[in-house]
Amino acid sequence: MRALRIPMSLFLLLFATACVTINVYFPAEAAEKAADRIIMDVYGSPPPQAPQQPPAGPQSQIEAPGFPYRAVAVVLDWLVPPAHAEADLSVNTPAIRQLTASMEARHRTLAPYYASGAVGMTHDGQIEVRDQKLVPLAERNSIRSLVSEENRDRSALYAEIARANNHPEWESEIRSTFARRWVDNARAGWWYMDSAGAWKQK
Amino acid sequence: MPGQRVIAVLLPGLCLLAVTTLSSLALDEAAIRLGSLAGPGWSAENVSLSIGWPQTDTASVLLTASSAELPEPLGRVTGLKFVCAAARLGTQDIGCTAGVLEARSGLLGRQKIDVTFNYRVSDGRLVAQLRGIRLLGGQLALAAHVTAKDWTLDIDGRQLSLQAVTALAGKLGYALPILEGDGHIALTAHVRGAGSELADAGLQARLQGTGFSNAAGSIAGEDVDLSLDVQARPFTAGWHLQLEVSGDGGGFYVEPVYLAVSDQPVQATVKLDWLTQRRVLVLHDVDYRHPGCVELDARGRISFAAATQVTELAVDIREAALGPLYKSYLQPWLAGTVVGRLDAAGALAGRLVVQDNTPVSAHLGLQGVNVADQDGLFGFTGMNGNLDWSDTDSPEYSELSWQGGHVYGIALGPAQIESESVGNKMQLVRAAEIPVLDGVLQIDSFKLALIADQSLRWQVDGLLTPVSMKQLTGALGWPEFGGKLSGVIPSVNYEDGKLEVGGVLLVRVFDGVITLRNLRMVSPLGLVPRLQLDALIDNIDLEQLTRTFSFGRIEGRLDGHIDGLRMQSWRPVAFDAAFATPGDDRSRHRISQKAVDNIANIGGGGVGGAVSRSFLRFLEDFPYDRLGIRCRLENGVCEMSGVEPAKQGYYIVKGRFIPPRLDVVGYADRVDWNKLVAQIISVTGTQEIVVE
Repeated sequence: MRALRIPMSLFLLLFATACVTINVYFPAEAAEKAADRIIMDVYGSPPPQAPQQPPAGPQSQIEAPGFPYRAVAVVLDWLVPPAHAEADLSVNTPAIRQLTASMEARHRTLAPYYASGAVGMTHDGQIEVRDQKLVPLAERNSIRSLVSEENRDRSALYAEIARANNHPEWESEIRSTFARRWVDNARAGWWYMDSAGAWKQK
Repeated sequence: MPGQRVIAVLLPGLCLLAVTTLSSLALDEAAIRLGSLAGPGWSAENVSLSIGWPQTDTASVLLTASSAELPEPLGRVTGLKFVCAAARLGTQDIGCTAGVLEARSGLLGRQKIDVTFNYRVSDGRLVAQLRGIRLLGGQLALAAHVTAKDWTLDIDGRQLSLQAVTALAGKLGYALPILEGDGHIALTAHVRGAGSELADAGLQARLQGTGFSNAAGSIAGEDVDLSLDVQARPFTAGWHLQLEVSGDGGGFYVEPVYLAVSDQPVQATVKLDWLTQRRVLVLHDVDYRHPGCVELDARGRISFAAATQVTELAVDIREAALGPLYKSYLQPWLAGTVVGRLDAAGALAGRLVVQDNTPVSAHLGLQGVNVADQDGLFGFTGMNGNLDWSDTDSPEYSELSWQGGHVYGIALGPAQIESESVGNKMQLVRAAEIPVLDGVLQIDSFKLALIADQSLRWQVDGLLTPVSMKQLTGALGWPEFGGKLSGVIPSVNYEDGKLEVGGVLLVRVFDGVITLRNLRMVSPLGLVPRLQLDALIDNIDLEQLTRTFSFGRIEGRLDGHIDGLRMQSWRPVAFDAAFATPGDDRSRHRISQKAVDNIANIGGGGVGGAVSRSFLRFLEDFPYDRLGIRCRLENGVCEMSGVEPAKQGYYIVKGRFIPPRLDVVGYADRVDWNKLVAQIISVTGTQEIVVE
């Protein structure tokens, strides 16, 4: 029995360390920054000024050593992306850009409804018709469509960011990060749902 | 209003009884305490009566009671007082021309009602009128006419508040929404009966209001003018009912449908039976007319016994204008789907049969229908057809044709499709030919199945006869180039939002051949379409290619491959691509000064004109041995290499050994893809390859 127990505990130990090794922590700070960039695009605020890239050195040159055998060599040093110094969340994929652009276009129609309180932000990163009595009758079914299309895009966005960063399991954390940042970046007077599900006005 | 009827009949009767007794005693004035009185379903406390005879043929009557219990829903009534200054207490008839009844009740509040009645002793005829009943925010008047044989009751209501009416209906246990806001009802009702039997009833009502809504805002009206006519007649098992509803103006919202009544009213006429015991609604005829939009008939049977069950229902759309029908009735349900944002026009007719909550057959007729996605993804014009479906084992035949169409801006010509369906499976009866630009997509077989969870699965086998690339690239907004696209498409499968092309697509272009394999698309008509394919490029003429993209002339041939190309929204996110001069190429190899400059410019760093500034500007072009480039794209970074390694870096163009020799050497092995694309666009002056 004892002989059996030792390999067993070894196995468990191995298993435990393996769990630790493969666990990649969610980059919370980077996710907030990424969320803010997208949200500012959607809300239409000017993004914060990115620090200027230092001008790159000469990237190609004409050489003519060993003439006449070698007349000229055009040397290309293609533009190299700066290496990522810190953990970052990539949000620069065509799908994310497309989803952001779609939400940005829709936001122009949605903004007055946020302002009137007809539509509010839920605590799971979606939006909801909060009080449809604030919406003129003829617009009530179009606002329902807008809200469902927006929620479809938002869900796709959260899944896409997780997938683009090769961590599909981060989707729910990305969703809750966004949920907070949508509210934090919202204009004063817009409505949001707190974690208990009660509507509050910012 | 059974309560009102009780009062109307009860009070004159009571007076009559007391008065006939007292007048025979020939008193000038009499007061009598009756204490408690009770009858079936009612009782009264502290009842007292006093009568005076100021004149011989008229009397004054005062009847009071501290409280009374009346049948529900009236319930407890307090402070009852009936005064009639000029009561007629004759031996032939008894009546009151100007009586006033006061009372207070929980349901009706404080009431002061004008009462007139006349009772004829000889035949027991009673005529009574109650006016000024303050009820439901407005006023109600009742007129009763009772004979030994039968009776009638007329009700006239003015300015009844919609909110109060719906609240009262709620209190009485009817599952109606409570509508708040400005809305008022005028109504007249006429009820006939004999004894305790009701013979028939009619109600005309008109609802007008500037704006009202339920608490959730899911049912609402604005500037509403709605008329209702109900005729009801009881029979042994329940009621025969006939309803006519007419929306004469305003806007109605019943989530998610919004109806705006224009100049012609929206009308519904319904003939139905309500089987009281079985809780079954039998719809004999429903006729619904929304002018300019839809006219339909329906018949059926719906049971409310346990869960709501549509036992059978047949709906016939006699005619419909697809544009308004789509906007008012269909679009709200289709939000977020591929057909959720359409511009639609044309005529439609159809029939749907439902049994036991499940559709069993459907017919749809289309005439001159045009549909177009508002984002321009697809569209069809001049659609005609008859589509039939049933859940039986016998095949149903359908045909659909269109004059023209487009998908992603690629024009489709007129086509006709004939199909046969058995249950939830459909297939083509004969091969269909769909003109695509200047070629034809020949569909040999098409099979479609609706799977249990309402998702679609379809399969196509076909052939694409050559389509000119000039037209295709033009339609897609790409840089124009020559050549032909064709292919055998042995099997295209669509399931669960994924489209998979089984065969090989052949593009004959630039005197070479490009073959496309393993083509897969996910949500092809969605917001973020994803595409995946492998491509093989065989022996392309570089001179034609560089001329097309105004890149600067390069002569020679080119082979290559693009493996694992993945695109999102038509932009590449990953691939492994390599292009190089074929090893056995015997063609002339020259590269122009402009091409070298352009390659240098794509490299960036402002060395544009590097060659043209040097002494080499006197040479128009240079011979080369081999050229090639490889890029493996992943996570926005392209790992670059060339045709072979150089001392440092790699050769993109390797010159001939004989002078003047020119090499183009790349150093960087990791390049930002988006910046690279931007450089290529600025150099070639072409638009980014995007399909909007």
